[in-house]
Amino acid sequence: MKNRTKSPASGRTVTRQQVVNLIVPFLLIFLSFLLSSVWIVMMGKNPVEAFAVLFKGAFGSSANLVGTIKKSVPIAFCTFAIIVSMKGNAFNIGAEGQFAFGAIGATLAGNLIQGLPSPLCIALCMLAGALFGMLFGLFPTIMHRSHGVDLLVIFLLMNNVAEYFLQYFVLDLFKSENALVPSSRPIQPAAELPYLLGPPYRMTIAILFVLVCAVVLSWFFNKTVAGYEMRAVGQNRDAAFYAGIPTGRYTSMALLISCALAGIGGSLEVLGNYHCLYTEISPGFGYDGIPIALLCDANPLLAVIGSISFGALRNGSLSLQAKMGLSSEIVSVIQGSLILVIASNYFIRYLLNRRKRG
Amino acid sequence: MDVFLNLLLSVIRLCTPIFVAGLGNMFCERVGVLNLGAEGMMISGAFMAVLGSYMTGNAWCGVLCGILGGIAAGGIHALVCVEFGGLHAISGLGLTMFCRGVTKFLCVAIFGSTYSPYVSALQTTDILAKLPMAGSYLAQLSPLVYAAILLGIGAHYIVFHTTYGLRMRALGDDPRAVETAGIDVWKMRYSGVLICGALCGLAGAYMGLGQLDRYFDGMISGKGMIAVIAVKMGNWSPLGIFLTALLLGLFDVIQLKLQISKTLALSPEMLAMIPYLAGIAVLCMKRKQGSRPTALDTVYLRNRYKL
Repeated sequence: MKNRTKSPASGRTVTRQQVVNLIVPFLLIFLSFLLSSVWIVMMGKNPVEAFAVLFKGAFGSSANLVGTIKKSVPIAFCTFAIIVSMKGNAFNIGAEGQFAFGAIGATLAGNLIQGLPSPLCIALCMLAGALFGMLFGLFPTIMHRSHGVDLLVIFLLMNNVAEYFLQYFVLDLFKSENALVPSSRPIQPAAELPYLLGPPYRMTIAILFVLVCAVVLSWFFNKTVAGYEMRAVGQNRDAAFYAGIPTGRYTSMALLISCALAGIGGSLEVLGNYHCLYTEISPGFGYDGIPIALLCDANPLLAVIGSISFGALRNGSLSLQAKMGLSSEIVSVIQGSLILVIASNYFIRYLLNRRKRG
Repeated sequence: MDVFLNLLLSVIRLCTPIFVAGLGNMFCERVGVLNLGAEGMMISGAFMAVLGSYMTGNAWCGVLCGILGGIAAGGIHALVCVEFGGLHAISGLGLTMFCRGVTKFLCVAIFGSTYSPYVSALQTTDILAKLPMAGSYLAQLSPLVYAAILLGIGAHYIVFHTTYGLRMRALGDDPRAVETAGIDVWKMRYSGVLICGALCGLAGAYMGLGQLDRYFDGMISGKGMIAVIAVKMGNWSPLGIFLTALLLGLFDVIQLKLQISKTLALSPEMLAMIPYLAGIAVLCMKRKQGSRPTALDTVYLRNRYKL
């Protein structure tokens, strides 16, 4: 989208451009809320009241706030996954599947690794999650690089495969015999993440991993040669190629790192939240990352804020269901319309610029 | 013989939605718009079809509603991709998510659960039962299957034997040349995407009213993506899409038969993966680009919107 907006020559208009750049994300979010409130009105409910309930459910009490932060951890890792792939000139929409496989990897490791001290055990489980995520993304990456297979299509199909494999794993292969809800065998206590806040809240240190990961990614892209070259590939593949950067290698590398990050997200969800695996471990976290990554312009630090707001949306929608009888599915409606207005981003910029000019 | 014919009938039943949605996607891709929102259009079509049949009590009204639902979803995609110059892949993803959310939201609001009640459907064609020999078999298929066959023939004629088809094929390869020739590129693109919406809506309506007689959340489960693959594999021609759809439908039938017969000691979840794995294999075997529209997935903006 960047190369389409020509930056005007004079200094004054450039600042206008900056103002527009600042306004647009908020405008897009506002528009998507407007589009979703159409459906709320159709149900005969007051949209303003609904969004107030949503906000209160997300930030109203300390318990709600902790819930929001918990929800934002997996979303943040999926967002990082998509950001890294975007930097490498690809688009990883298979984060949903890699997330599930990361969770499977962590569950397996958490069960099989015995008798190690807790920090080492946790590290190994997360590594297993990253590896499983990466291995799941390996085949599409290879096919994309060697045969030019369409990444979007193959990743979407792989997500379906992952969904069924997760069901197979939880319901059949690794099922727990004495559980009320169908779930896998629980991981051993040594693999559980320690709490940052005690039992009434049960907030684990997972959020710290998010912050560390954001800083590391930001450092990688801005301060290292590999990160710089990867960004170059993402911004203009041809120019990077003529500058002698191995573009294919960087794209594959970005995709594999991206898959590993989604896998870590899945492993943290198992190690920190559930301590075992359910079939509904991800209500679409992998797809949440897409609008966030696009809105924050692939900036890892801003992505943390974006993830927390999307976590708020998911957490708040639960109280929307309880208090107003609206399906929590309104989240997908908001997200879907958000992606649609992000796609029309160029037209909105055009309208803004035209008004300023006239 | 009887076993073979029954197998053939199931293959036809299961390949029809892939074929019809694939035909729609072919129109869309031939005018140069990538459609990853086929899934969303099918969901919208299926839900609207069942809703229409539930409200009016007439299955044919339901099919009409389904087509309209598909066109509405296609209209969103057309607006974003053709008018606003949006990126096709992102718009398609957003559309699928939007349709999935809206239908689930409405389904819970109208029917009170994620399942609709049973509605009047079009599962058999009773008129054909009186025909000699094959009548009893032909009557087991939904009338929409026959509509799909006619649509396939019609699509072949339109694409390869009419002026509209010629323009469409040219547009897929070079929009600028088409505009230079004085043809309204955007009107053509709109028509392609809307036809796609109508056909995907019909495919969804078939799944809701032809295969089953109700709607439930998640019933489309990736069929739209399979249709996108069928277009690529079928080399953007109706006949090719038909053959690919048959192949993919066959895998679907194998999966179902194995689930029922339990001959292999595999869990149903493992078997449910088969159609998707077949889709991935088909996608990876397709090495040559064939007659891929070269301007596929490109933005072609109206002059007055240029900054």
